[in-house]
Parts: sequence; structure tokens; C-alpha cells
Amino acid sequence: MATPQQPIMARSARLPSPIRALLVVALLYAFLVGVKMLESGIKGIGSDYTDPLFASVSNPLAGLFVGILATVLVQSSSVTTATIVGLVASGVVGVEAAVPMIMGANIGTTVTNTLVSLTNARRSEQFRLAFTAATMHDFFNVLVVIVLLPLEVFTGFLHASASWIAGLFVEGNLGGSFDSPVKAAVGWLANLAEGVIETIIASPVAAAIVTIAVAIGVIFVTLTFITKNMRALVADRIEASLNAALAKSGTIGIVVGMLVTIAVQSSSITTSILIPLVASGLLMVRNAYPITLGANIGTTITALLAAMAAGSIDGLTIAFTHTLFNVLGIMLVYPWPRVRYIPVVLAERLANVAVRSKSLAVAYTFGAFVVFPFLGILVLR
Amino acid sequence: MVMAFFRGRGESTLDEVKGTLVSMLADGRTVFDTATDAVFGGGKSKQTKQTVRSTDQEINTAQQRVRRSLMMHSAVTTVDLPAVLAYMSIVKDAERIGDYAKNMYDLAKYGANFELAEDHDELLAYRDAVGQLIDDAAATFASQDEAQAQKLIDKADGFLTDYDHKIKAAFRSEGTADQAVARALYYRYLKRITAHIMNMLTAIVMPIERLDYYDEAPEDR
Repeated sequence: MATPQQPIMARSARLPSPIRALLVVALLYAFLVGVKMLESGIKGIGSDYTDPLFASVSNPLAGLFVGILATVLVQSSSVTTATIVGLVASGVVGVEAAVPMIMGANIGTTVTNTLVSLTNARRSEQFRLAFTAATMHDFFNVLVVIVLLPLEVFTGFLHASASWIAGLFVEGNLGGSFDSPVKAAVGWLANLAEGVIETIIASPVAAAIVTIAVAIGVIFVTLTFITKNMRALVADRIEASLNAALAKSGTIGIVVGMLVTIAVQSSSITTSILIPLVASGLLMVRNAYPITLGANIGTTITALLAAMAAGSIDGLTIAFTHTLFNVLGIMLVYPWPRVRYIPVVLAERLANVAVRSKSLAVAYTFGAFVVFPFLGILVLR
Repeated sequence: MVMAFFRGRGESTLDEVKGTLVSMLADGRTVFDTATDAVFGGGKSKQTKQTVRSTDQEINTAQQRVRRSLMMHSAVTTVDLPAVLAYMSIVKDAERIGDYAKNMYDLAKYGANFELAEDHDELLAYRDAVGQLIDDAAATFASQDEAQAQKLIDKADGFLTDYDHKIKAAFRSEGTADQAVARALYYRYLKRITAHIMNMLTAIVMPIERLDYYDEAPEDR
């Protein structure tokens, strides 16, 4: 930022790109150590404590609401999905129970761009566009969950398919583990950190709880800084690819959304970037739509990375379930012209109402992402 | 399209914007030279009109391109916000230089002709000075040389005072009305072009809240 003495064009010192890239690699390593510690910490608590704690998420709807609320609270589906992978890898939460939580994380992550869109509330036309761009993501994810969650609950096709895909990469069955170079690379540091905690805290359960707290902290902080640094590192590439996708739609937008999200490790960042572009009229809502859908696929890379660190076939299966769910969601909606823009049309209608009553927009955001899932968990637990 | 992500662009958005501003100034110089040639004996012609209009149109298109780039840049990263705000402001100045140069051509269209005027040399000297100022501003903008920018601001500031005197003189002149109006407008347009160049240069030497305030007391500059 320019200080009163600093000319506007004088750019402040920035971290050189190679150093920033090394920093990202270090943060990624720390993130994977965090996932490994989480898995070990949960195992360390013991099933006597964890089984009653997670019994409520055996109800698919409760699991869905937990996924939504957890993601809203940490403002990052990557943190939630990495944590879910850790829970599944430790055996505390089964793959079947984790699927609705993963779906919930997908819905919960859309709160960020909805909040960003509210910043345009003072200018009606900009707000209409921004709110439409934000909530079309909500509607898409909710509609896909409405279709795929019951199918998954009754047939288990999603996690069964994901298990089959996982089998293509590693040998073994559900409940087993696999040798991953990532797991080996992060294992020693995770063990060292756990050893330090166990030396300080005598009680095994208390040490495990502290390990979990430290692990979640590490996952949250590292992902935050990975996102921040990657955003700075690839900002020009993001601009170049978004510029290329401005007047395009369809597959190009989906691929651009996916690439940008993989690069910054956050679908919220990708979709939030789109909001001012749509609000200013630089990007049409319908051209932003496929980029948003691509972000849904891109964000699944985090859970896949986490699964590499955990080295559990269940963990890998739930990570692939996340990817498969989002790919299937797009295949269900996007190729069919009659269905494709249903989320956009619904978002436009909601935005029209929101423009007339700004307090309703706030009520929708708070109600849909906080109150409704919270009440759902209370009722269904 | 998608490969744009892997290729990148080789230069940052702000460098790209800076390059566009420099080329807008070069186009501004073209419009200025073409239009003032018409006032200094060239007269109005279809070709001159075409050059003036089409080059001005290119400047306008460049301005829109800069605005789009800045909007995209500010959506992706907020670290350059002061520079984005400054560029958003000074791109308007670059565009206005083309507009005022275009107005010069309108003078020729209305019949102004300084070719045989008694004060021809003086009128021509100011034209050359402003033309050089546009070029120097473009070079300074490209190099971001703060010392050179300050030097140009000081030099241009002197021109502004001269133009005010010339405009007052035109009001008091005993010549014909068309001569007085032509001179008043001519110096007025030169003043506006000079002022817009100074606005642009303030971005190199001053913090954001002082942008455009080159007409403060000299000790505050």
C-alpha cells in the first residue's frame, strides 16, 4: 500500500517467485503432516470416545448438515474435506457416512462468494448480477445433492465407484492401507510432533486431543497460506486464463475454473474472483457459470492430496468420491440444454427478490448456511 | 484458451497497462500533430479528419481495454490497489489528450488558420513545446523516472501560466472576433492537454491522495 510519502507507482517489495514457490512446497508439506497427525490423533482417542461423538453423522442428512456447517465455520471446504479424509482414514467415520459430509462441504463452500456478493448491496443492478453469480453455485450444488444423495444412500453407487477408481491406483480393499511415498515423507515429522506432545502431556487421551487440535490448526493455517501464496504466484496466469474465458462458455470455462482452483487450492477464491467481474459487467453470468462448476472439480485436489498423506484406502476412496460427485454433478446438469441453466434461472429469481429486499438476502445467507444446518443437526442427532 | 493458464503472459498486468498508456500518448501525439497541422495551413480535409477520428477511436478503445484489465487485476489480487486506482484515473487523462487534440482540428474546420498570422512563430513554438511534452511524458511514464517526472511537471506548470496570459490577451485584443476566439480556444486546448499530462505525471511522483494536485504550492510538491 502507498504511504503518504510513497508515490503510487512505487511498488512495495515482494517475495521473489522462486522463494514463494519454495514456501508453497514447504506449506504443502506441513499441510500433509497436519493430515497425518489428525489421523493419528483421532486413532489415539480411542473408539470408546469417538464412536458416540460421531454416531449422529450416520444419519445422511445430519452428515450433510455437519459438512455444511463445518465448512461455513472454517470458510474452506478444503479444510473440511481434508479433515473428513483424516476421520475416514482413522476409521472413526465410515466411507458411507462421510459421503454426505463431503456433499455438505460442497454446499457450505459457496457461502464465501455469497458473502462477497453482499458487498454490492448498495447498487441494485450490480447486486442483482453479483448475487445471481454467487447463488447459482448454491443452487447447482443443492440440486445435485438432491439428486445424488438419495441415490447414494439407497445404492451406494458413488462410493462403490470411487472405491473401484481407488483400486486402479493402489492395491487393497476398503479398511486397508497402502504405501505412499507422501505418507513416508511426512510420517517421520508427524511422529516426531506427536512424540513431543506425548512427552509433554502424560494422559494418552489428552495428548491425542491436543494432537488433533494442533493438526486442525496446521491444516487451517497451511491451507490459508498456500492459497494466499499461490494466488500471488499465479495471479498473472489466472488473469490470462480468465481473460481468455471471458467471452467463452462451456468446456473452456469448466477447465479454466478447474485449473485456477487447483492452483490456488480454493474454490472460494475462484468463485469470489468472479463476483466483481460479473457485478462490473466484465463477465456475463452465464459465462461465469461453467467456471464456477470447474471450481467444484478443482477443489477436490486437496482431499486427494490429504489421502496421499493418510495412506488409507478408505481415505483415498472418500477423496475420489468427492471428485466423482462433482464430475457426475456437472455431467448430470451441464450437457443438457433444458437442465443446464436451471440453477442460473433460480439464482436470477432469488436475486430479483434480494434486490427488492436486501435484508432477505442477508436472511437467506444466514438461514441457509447457518440456521438451517444447525437446526438440522439438532433435530437429527 | 486454456493454455493461457500454462503460458502466462510474460509481463504483469500493470506493466501491460503502462505500455498501453504509453502507446495512448503516442497516439495522442499523432492526433495532436495532425490536428494542429490543419490549423497551421493544412486546413480541413477528408484524410486529416479520418486520421484524427480513427486515431482518437483507437485511444478510446485502448482506454476501455485498460479499464477491463484493471478490473480483472483488482478482482484477482488486491495488493496493487493504489496503482489500480491511479491507472483508472490517469487513463482518463490519456484519453482526454486525444479529445482536446481532436478539438484542435475543429478549429481548422471552423476556419482558423495561423499560417500567416503575426504571432505565427509564437503559436507554433507552443505547439512544438506541447508536442515535445507529450513525447517526454510518454518516455518518463515508460521509465517511471521520478526526477524526470518532477522536472516535466515544473516545466509544464510554467506553460499553464503562459496560456492563462495568452487567453487573457486574446480577450483584450483589438483584432477580429474570429482571431480572438481562435487564439483563446487554441491556448485553452493547449492548457487542457498540458494539465492532463501533468495529472498523469503526478502518479509517478505523488501518493494517491495527491493525484491530480499538481497546482498546489511548489514547496508542497
